[in-house]
Amino acid sequence: MTGNKTALKLLGLAALLAFPVLPFSSEYVMHVAVLIMVYAVLAMGLNVLPGFCNLLDLGYVGFYGIGAYTAGILALNHNVSFWLIVPGAIALGALCGMLRGAPTLRLSGDYFAIVTFGFTELVVLFLTNEIWLTRGPLGLPGIPPIALSLEFLGIDWRYDFLSEIPYYYLGLAMVGAVYVVMCRIEDSRLGRAWLAIKEDPLAAASCGINLMAYKTVAFAFSAGVGALAGCFMAQWSMFLAPDVFKFWESFLVLCMIVLGGLGNINGAIVGAVVLIALGEVLRVLLPKLGLPAETRFLVYGLIMILIMRFKPGGFFPTIAATSKKSRLILDLKARLQAERAG
Amino acid sequence: MFEQQLFNGLTLGLIYALIAVGYTMVYGVIELINFAHGEVYMLGAFLCITFIQALGVPLFPAMVLAMACCAGIGVLIDQIAYKPLRKAPRLAALITAIGVSIFLQNIAMIIWGSRPVPFTRSAVPAAFSETAFTLGSVNVSGLQVFIYALTIAMMIGLTLIINKTRIGTAMRALAQNATAAALMGINVNRVISFTFALGSGLGAVAGILVGMYYNTLSATMGYNAGVKAFAAAVLGGIGSVPGAMLGGVVLGVAETLGAGYVSSQYRDGLGYAVMIAVILLRPSGLLGKSVGQKA
Repeated sequence: MTGNKTALKLLGLAALLAFPVLPFSSEYVMHVAVLIMVYAVLAMGLNVLPGFCNLLDLGYVGFYGIGAYTAGILALNHNVSFWLIVPGAIALGALCGMLRGAPTLRLSGDYFAIVTFGFTELVVLFLTNEIWLTRGPLGLPGIPPIALSLEFLGIDWRYDFLSEIPYYYLGLAMVGAVYVVMCRIEDSRLGRAWLAIKEDPLAAASCGINLMAYKTVAFAFSAGVGALAGCFMAQWSMFLAPDVFKFWESFLVLCMIVLGGLGNINGAIVGAVVLIALGEVLRVLLPKLGLPAETRFLVYGLIMILIMRFKPGGFFPTIAATSKKSRLILDLKARLQAERAG
Repeated sequence: MFEQQLFNGLTLGLIYALIAVGYTMVYGVIELINFAHGEVYMLGAFLCITFIQALGVPLFPAMVLAMACCAGIGVLIDQIAYKPLRKAPRLAALITAIGVSIFLQNIAMIIWGSRPVPFTRSAVPAAFSETAFTLGSVNVSGLQVFIYALTIAMMIGLTLIINKTRIGTAMRALAQNATAAALMGINVNRVISFTFALGSGLGAVAGILVGMYYNTLSATMGYNAGVKAFAAAVLGGIGSVPGAMLGGVVLGVAETLGAGYVSSQYRDGLGYAVMIAVILLRPSGLLGKSVGQKA
């Protein structure tokens, strides 16, 4: 059984790796695939707050914007390498995440939802008005692509990411890395503390969990992942404008994790695949019906309402402890079963 | 100049107060942030100009009609989307609320287009755009007089409904303790529907007034107004109706003065800043009950 599963996983991975060289993959298909990866990272990052901590975040795309503009400005104006920008942008995003969450630490989750509701708007206002830094509504065109270079070692070798294919592999690596980190964290002391807070903050606090500390870590972690996706996106799309980071995008990412099941890491990825693919279909379909392409959000809104009404756990609901591989939990489970049997 | 700014701010503040009241009443009764309230406000404005343009209804009957329609829409939103989730986790209801908000926004975009639309000028009495009187250095337009009279009358009416009528008493009882209220024979669902109808009707009026005041309507106008009115509700103390009124007025004045003297680009961000400051310094708001550490 487990052998089968491993084989299936390896087969899936091989298919993903071979995807760009398959005959049906065109530049467009690759583009959509990379877009899916960006959103998969965003969905996994957002998932930390509503999924693990029961806090509704309605402004997640703000961090995406912060990461993207950090990368865009540093790469364009100061010629900094992508590999150096990433840690800096993640740190900046995490800092902003902590600052945003800090006022609501002592209050109920409703206050957090309110604060996040306006956050994207604030980021968009900043990006639009600080023209000296961001060029405002004109946007940032001509951001250099990501490059691999050994020039800092004195070796004259450089590879620029000029087509979709290198971005595809880098994106795959990014999704993989975030996925592994998320799974490990969910299964760690930190993840268990978050889940305890989600189930019952009062009980969690009385078990010795420092609510404020753990929530702050969640704010920072979630925001950092968003900024990472932003960096990648900036140097992949090579153009940024404040409009890209409006509230709608936050809603779209939220819709992905609702679809996949709040708190389910695999579900977040599935949600990203389904909704981006759906978005591409609707982009073609809606103008044929005489509707503007923006109205595809009508469908997303409807999906969200219907899922909450009929399938509140999403299509892949998380069941506590099924995905856990930690020794501690497995031992506990075995002991409980043994006791029940005996 | 300062007096004029202050006066304009008060006009805007009264309109915010009308929207904020809708948020705060719903929060008081079912503890849900009704994100769709901003969209009801937007629909009010669009329905009003549709009645004027398509059916040839004069302005004032059109306002009443739009108000009634929005009251109905508010009740429908509650019945269809929120009611099935009364016993579900808070997060589910919140997510549904945001889903409804996006859904309505897009419906409006399909019906009325995604570009801003001007308010039907011909239906607005000519007296509204003229200066009604001058008070010191302040020019007061006819429209502003109308906004003042209407909003203040509505708030007095609302206060009377909440404090003097049976259904108002039931609303306050429900806000204190829903279970106990139900045990006392209050029809909880009817009171909740009434609250939605009342709040949505006021929101619709606010939308129409903003449409006339700025002479522009757009399908996305509900988002910004929603954030600001919510900030006003938080400023006044969420759940407190007089608080929401006060919060709206304070926010409107702060926003206009801020735009005039600090930075006009960050006009829309000011409400947000005020909200953060309130949450940091006095989370219970100006007139609200204390909010402790809650789940």
